[in-house]
Amino acid sequence: MSASYPGIDIPDPKLQKATRLGMVVDQDRCIGCWSCAVACKEQQNVGIGLYWLRVLTVGGPFMDTPAGTFPDLTMSYQSTNCFHCDNPPCVKACPTQATYKMANGIVNVNYDRCIGCRYCMVACPYDNRVFNWRKPVQEPPASVVAVGETPARPKGVVEKCTFCVQRVTDGLLPRCVVTCPTGARTFGDLDDPGSEVSVLLRDRPSYVVFPERGTKPSLHYLIRTGPNAVGGSL
Amino acid sequence: MSAVTTESAVPAPRRGSRGFAIWIAALVALIVLGFGVWIYQVVRGLQVTDMRDNVIWGLYIITFMFFVGLSAGGLIVASAGRLFGVDRFAPIVRLAIVEATVTIATAALLIIPDLGHVQHIYNLFIHAHWLSPMIWDVTVILIYLVLSLLYLWLYTRRDLAARGSWLALGTKDTGRAGRDRDHHLTYVLAWIALPAAVLVHSITAWIFGLQISRGFWYSAIMPPLFVSSALVSGLALVTILAFVVRRYGRISFADELGSFLGGLLAVFLAVEAFLVLCEVMAGYYPGIPTDAVHQLFTGRYAPGFAVEVVVGLVIPFILLAVAGWRRRPQIVVVAAVLALIGIFVHRANLIVIGLGKAPIPSPPGTPLGIPQANGSSFATSSVYFPTIWEFLIVIGIVALAALVLTLAVRYLPLRDEPDA
Repeated sequence: MSASYPGIDIPDPKLQKATRLGMVVDQDRCIGCWSCAVACKEQQNVGIGLYWLRVLTVGGPFMDTPAGTFPDLTMSYQSTNCFHCDNPPCVKACPTQATYKMANGIVNVNYDRCIGCRYCMVACPYDNRVFNWRKPVQEPPASVVAVGETPARPKGVVEKCTFCVQRVTDGLLPRCVVTCPTGARTFGDLDDPGSEVSVLLRDRPSYVVFPERGTKPSLHYLIRTGPNAVGGSL
Repeated sequence: MSAVTTESAVPAPRRGSRGFAIWIAALVALIVLGFGVWIYQVVRGLQVTDMRDNVIWGLYIITFMFFVGLSAGGLIVASAGRLFGVDRFAPIVRLAIVEATVTIATAALLIIPDLGHVQHIYNLFIHAHWLSPMIWDVTVILIYLVLSLLYLWLYTRRDLAARGSWLALGTKDTGRAGRDRDHHLTYVLAWIALPAAVLVHSITAWIFGLQISRGFWYSAIMPPLFVSSALVSGLALVTILAFVVRRYGRISFADELGSFLGGLLAVFLAVEAFLVLCEVMAGYYPGIPTDAVHQLFTGRYAPGFAVEVVVGLVIPFILLAVAGWRRRPQIVVVAAVLALIGIFVHRANLIVIGLGKAPIPSPPGTPLGIPQANGSSFATSSVYFPTIWEFLIVIGIVALAALVLTLAVRYLPLRDEPDA
């Protein structure tokens, strides 16, 4: 069992039976606070310098800067982690089947098979994979803060977001979804028409990143509708 | 027989026996140094390189591509000559096959230091994923290596047997009939070797050209461009080696062959220039400023492209196109060296431009894997330049190639029989 958070973590058996897990991020709600990214690092013991989840600033020249020129400014974020594509180029590229698609739609990495050739990172159009250029450094050490049951990674292997596969196997939501203070992230089975993610995608206009590449991402963004909205993808 | 006896009787090169010893010692020193640095890299991890999560591949892969090209080019020249009855190649065919064999083995070796977790390398064989172009490449390179060795053995085994060398691998018959049969067999093998050589570099091109994630690479022109680069660099290296080896008396040919090789190289250079033009036009004409092709003309990488075109294509082409110039061995060798430099820079441009910019350009960009000096762990674009460790490892591997090549030239019968 994963470590769980009383009152927040309520096991949902539907997640365990899902066939196409996906995530929906509401751009109206995201405030660019990076809580998801920090929680992810803690949950998965991600080393210093590596991120499974990062929050991109849309349009501005630097982080946390608006797009446009005064007074026509817009501020928008796009929190980005592995899109768990239905047609994943990384899985195709991997020469040793270390990266594979699970029956529930999660794209996972088998660290014992990875030879560290980094071809999957070349193949990913989104830079959502990271490499252990050195023995992972955790600060404070993993023994102090570790909460997840993520396997330890040796140096020289590729890692990335797993949709918190250990938690999902227990029917729990990924940590970023639980952590988001504005409830911008929702998670569920895209094949289940009654799931929260499916309802949101039916009700609101959404986009995926680089749809023309044909990767069919399972992470969708709900287009901003509020004041100074910026629509469409990056 | 008489020719063979004479050949065996040729004394070890008189010039520089001492120089030879120094050369071998220097190579061994570089190999040991490179191996030591590789051990250091295995212990510390790939952090000792300048590669990071944006420029994911570097000098190892650049040199790998370059050596696959050298090999494919060498074998294409050797087997095409055999297939299409270009008999004037005969004096250098064995040398070309030696070159192809050594360089493909070197290419395979260059992959090793690029692997982050080399301890798992056996997974390439027990968990091979047949949709991955990298597995196609591993397979075709291994087949091609065996093929080159077989080819080399067929060409030299009778002469080796005549010397009583164990390298003849059991061949005893050194008679005329056996030699004629082998000559036929090399023709049959040329039919396999030529397409294999074209394929080995096409598949290497597909490692890059099939990835829709990288706009600069995702193009149908990659395999033809790679094959043409292979022809240029492979022929250039064979030409240089031919003149060098002739100087040491291990093969002999008339200067006309040198100027013929130079003329052929000029043709290959023209084809290469044409394909580069095709690639650039398709990227440039639509006028999309984010297309990576624009980086060839403006910014940091423009000088590299200028070197590729001017030093690597235009100057050697002019040197070789003038009939009077290409009759002089020195000019042919200089042009071939320039062509080699041009192709290497071409390969380097391909990697650093293809990977230099984050695919999603929004700030803060791609996580780098290790925090930079300024404290940030992200970047939207990065400059790659190999570290001293990367250079030392690559130099060590190239020194190993030079050592094997030197020994092969010294101890294998590379001379074609005058009447064969």
